[in-house]
Amino acid sequence: MAKRMRKNEEIAEKIRAVVSEDAICFDDAYRAGVIFSAQVPMDKLRDVMSACAEAGYFLETITGLDFEDTAELVYHLNCYEPGSRIAVRVLCDQEGTAPTVIDIYPSASWLEREVHDFYGIRFSDNPDMRPLLLPEDADYHPLRKTFGKVHAYRKREDIYG
Amino acid sequence: MAKQFQAPVVEQIYTLNLGPQHPSTHGVLRVLLDLDGEFIVKADPVIGYGHRGHEKMGENRTYKQFMPNSSRMDYLSGLLFNHGFALAVEKLCDIDVPLRARYIRVICSELNRISSHLLWFGTYVMDLGGFTPFLYCFDDRENILDILDRVSGSRLTYSYCRFGGVTRDIDTEFISMTRDFIKRLRGRWPEYHNLVTKNIIFIHRTRDVGVITPELARQFGVTGPNLRACGVKYDMRKIEPYEVYERFKFNVPIGFNGDALDRYKVRLEEMEQSCRIIEQALDDLPDGPVINESVPYKVKPPKGEVYFAFESARGLTAYYLLSDGSHYPYRCHIRVPSFSNLHVLTQVLKGTLVADAISILGSIDVVIPEIDR
Repeated sequence: MAKRMRKNEEIAEKIRAVVSEDAICFDDAYRAGVIFSAQVPMDKLRDVMSACAEAGYFLETITGLDFEDTAELVYHLNCYEPGSRIAVRVLCDQEGTAPTVIDIYPSASWLEREVHDFYGIRFSDNPDMRPLLLPEDADYHPLRKTFGKVHAYRKREDIYG
Repeated sequence: MAKQFQAPVVEQIYTLNLGPQHPSTHGVLRVLLDLDGEFIVKADPVIGYGHRGHEKMGENRTYKQFMPNSSRMDYLSGLLFNHGFALAVEKLCDIDVPLRARYIRVICSELNRISSHLLWFGTYVMDLGGFTPFLYCFDDRENILDILDRVSGSRLTYSYCRFGGVTRDIDTEFISMTRDFIKRLRGRWPEYHNLVTKNIIFIHRTRDVGVITPELARQFGVTGPNLRACGVKYDMRKIEPYEVYERFKFNVPIGFNGDALDRYKVRLEEMEQSCRIIEQALDDLPDGPVINESVPYKVKPPKGEVYFAFESARGLTAYYLLSDGSHYPYRCHIRVPSFSNLHVLTQVLKGTLVADAISILGSIDVVIPEIDR
């Protein structure tokens, strides 16, 4: 447990060094399944991910979120020993471009393609943006809230307050 | 006498389509192989043939309506996915689960894990040319399907869990069937080891084949038995104990080289550990209700999100649910282990023989519908 705390503090320090102090929001009760989530500006994303890679973290998944006013990417990272999950969140334009992290995490190559499939967010410098799960000629982005049957299309602050 | 015709020698890279319909790919998977003679220069898995849009479906169904979907992603360990989804929603809504239901869930999940590993064992050895173990495994697996069929009503795509418990209680017949099965499976280990583990052909086909180093595994997010085979002791049941796993004594088997043989050994040992968990759970199975009756028919979680990770038969699986306070999830994302486990093939297959590609692909144990979602 003490080891886990130290690791959390260590990575939080590293991220604080890159972004501002209040970007990190600790969740001690582990309610959302992460130790803390870091809201990171787009141009600092690669620096934060590099810091995580150096600390021995691996990339679990990238989740896209579509809100009325913005889109968001959530990177979940975890490390083997002592096992503490963190989330790095970055806001992104719906039609925008995010920096790729495939040189830091090769696993991001497929994950970014998946996000591009579903949300249409492009990743600059990712050489391979072919559809991954969708058909080769797909020109739609099914998880956008403007596609197909949708229950609610909300602003980001409606949910996160 | 006419001069014999000699074709000019041209050295070129040859592209071969492995799949999408090939017995060894266990589903609709195509791997584009660039070959230099018998050696693979580049491998590019093409996935998505079975994409059904489970994540979109998740947004359009209430939490309860998504329950049957959860077991249709990884159909070989459907109950584990079902269990995980129930746990994720329970965490999101703060639902209490009776202790007996927790034990029953663990017992059934571990049975499902054994059945998934048994199927892998049989088909993997069949990929390598041995047909007999396949029949043995399916015979054993049939017992598990019968046990789970008795209690959940289905043989493959279980929808046994509910928010706050399970659909129905287990009876003494279930317990005695499970105990008989474990006894029978333990009697099988020597047979399996004599038939496969000590088989010289099998050893030559798997040893030092498809080595995944811990560093490569970290870069690609490989988890589950594939990761443990390279010597990293990482199991969600130990790292982030969920349900009642912290009450049971079990080991996390690890390998040393990260080759196909180690992956095989880890999975075989894992089945034995699952047996241990089931036995302990049956020994101190508490009495009481199996479902929390106060859970409303349509759950309505508060605003917020949950990322719930658990160990399925193939590795770290997670549900990411974002609730906007309505009956429907705003976002339902599923982190599936086979996705990352298959991605690492692009690196592992480089420089190996085509014949080894089949062995490696089999040893990774991917389920394609799980990747495609």
